[in-house]
Amino acid sequence: MIIKGKAWCFGADIDTDQIYPGKYLPITDKQKMARHAMEGAPGGEEFRSNVKQGDIIVAGRNFGCGSSREHATVAIHGIGVSLVIARSFARIFHRNAVNTGLPIILFDEIKEIKQGDRLEVNIETGKLSNLSQNRVFQGIPITSLEMEIMKAGGLLDYLKKANT
Amino acid sequence: MTIIEKIFARAAGKDVKPGEYVWAKLDLVAMRDFGGPNVIQEYQSKFGERPVFNKENVAITFDLHVPARNEKVAVNQKFLRDFAVRQGVKLFDIDTGVGQHVLLESGLVKPWDIIVGTDSHMNLLGAVGAAGFGMGTTDIAGAMYKGELYFHVPPTINIKVTGGLKKFVTAKDIILSVLKNLKTDGALNRAVEFSGETIDNMDLAERITMASMVTEMSGDIGFIQPNDEIIEYIRARSGEKLEIIQPDANAVYEKIHEFKVNDLEPQIACPHSPDNVKDIGEVSKIKVDQVFIGSCTNGRFEDLKSAAEILKGNKIKPDMRLIIVPATMEVARESLEHGLYDIFMNAGAVITNPGCALCTTGHPGILAPDEVMVSTSNRNFVGKLGKGAKVFLASPPTAAATALTGVITDPREV
Ligand code: SF4
Repeated sequence: MIIKGKAWCFGADIDTDQIYPGKYLPITDKQKMARHAMEGAPGGEEFRSNVKQGDIIVAGRNFGCGSSREHATVAIHGIGVSLVIARSFARIFHRNAVNTGLPIILFDEIKEIKQGDRLEVNIETGKLSNLSQNRVFQGIPITSLEMEIMKAGGLLDYLKKANT
Repeated sequence: MTIIEKIFARAAGKDVKPGEYVWAKLDLVAMRDFGGPNVIQEYQSKFGERPVFNKENVAITFDLHVPARNEKVAVNQKFLRDFAVRQGVKLFDIDTGVGQHVLLESGLVKPWDIIVGTDSHMNLLGAVGAAGFGMGTTDIAGAMYKGELYFHVPPTINIKVTGGLKKFVTAKDIILSVLKNLKTDGALNRAVEFSGETIDNMDLAERITMASMVTEMSGDIGFIQPNDEIIEYIRARSGEKLEIIQPDANAVYEKIHEFKVNDLEPQIACPHSPDNVKDIGEVSKIKVDQVFIGSCTNGRFEDLKSAAEILKGNKIKPDMRLIIVPATMEVARESLEHGLYDIFMNAGAVITNPGCALCTTGHPGILAPDEVMVSTSNRNFVGKLGKGAKVFLASPPTAAATALTGVITDPREV
């Protein structure tokens, strides 16, 4: 599965309260949730107003730390983000991303990606091409089991399919 | 294989290695009044009214906001009650207590089971040798549908505790001193197995205290191999024969941490982190406004009894509030029968109904800004019990001694 998009760069330790502020937790409508994606993060306002369908979030280590709210992955996905690339993910965010069908990939050298770079990522092989800089890198894909779940659209769709 | 790996191997039907991802069969799926409604909504949006995988193995517990503290909570609780009736799953209503404890008492939890639930402290079920995982909404909805989930098999670290404790030093002091050393990320993505003679000799209440705070070390699961007493307790409650599983003699632990506790002093975790732990002697006699004795970590009969030993025949400071909350109705009854309620009331304490109580905001008893509380619970993060409030975590004897003097107090001094 190849994902192409423009990079939005964020720092390390972006917690779920920055990704989806706690005050919006009562919202249950997924489209309304999406309007607040990254609202609490530095650079989040610019992101929110300019992000295009298919864009890619690039972040440092421990992305999605903090509370276990699934709103975080739902909002990011809902606002149009097609992939999150990070040096590492917090355990619960990682699981929530897979479970809600949000593509993610691990990549160590995130400093090689600049804001606005056009990226092309094969999330199965981990091959990451920075089209703007004409360079190719290797990321670490999620496990094949997680990939199947993610591709099915998330855990519940995966289980439903497996059972019919 | 370590015991954790064996638990996964049994549930996956094949040998496993740490780091591997496996599908494992679940023995019990639990949710509570908080988070539970989201699980059901998610379940229904995908599966409608389809029956859960096995109604005997799904349980709903009410413990966080009991009785309902506002209309929103009341609506959520009704939603869960209706679902339980339609699906025929077990419901433990507002008259029961902290979910994990209620599940233990009801015989639904057995050693070497894999259990998932919506509370972050599911791993306290390791007290009887079950692998308890706190999970998100989608996981629990999927678990309820399929009776299986995928897991990352964590490497195991071993925490070995030896030596006898001094008077008024408790399991809570041991786990706080472990946190002081390992810190809040000390068991990140790891399973924690407690062992050693001190652990082997612990009763259920002490084991619960130890296992519950694995969450504060960021561990996936806490585990204590059951001794004969625990096996007997579970057999009597579940009515099932248990086939004992032992770790292999050549089990590989990622790390072994050893703790000798003969000289351990009462410990106290200062604001605002459970690993900001000091010997009680190192903390000055800070004035305390309120003391809370209870929670899933220290709400058992033995915990309340150790506090009663100190409170008996004494009165708390006039400008002090002492709130005592038994973990479950069974604990409340036992405490009542043994005269603890009399001791508490005579001392000037308020006793509320069983539940999670002052573990988090939204409960009767939270603090005004800048007030100070000593709590027997497990977390003292900023804002967890009111803006600007400061929370210290300690054992029931230390909490009781503090209630008597109005300042942070070593239980051996009263
Ligand atoms: S007392 Fe707190 S940590 Fe324990 S089960 Fe209740 S809410 Fe969770």
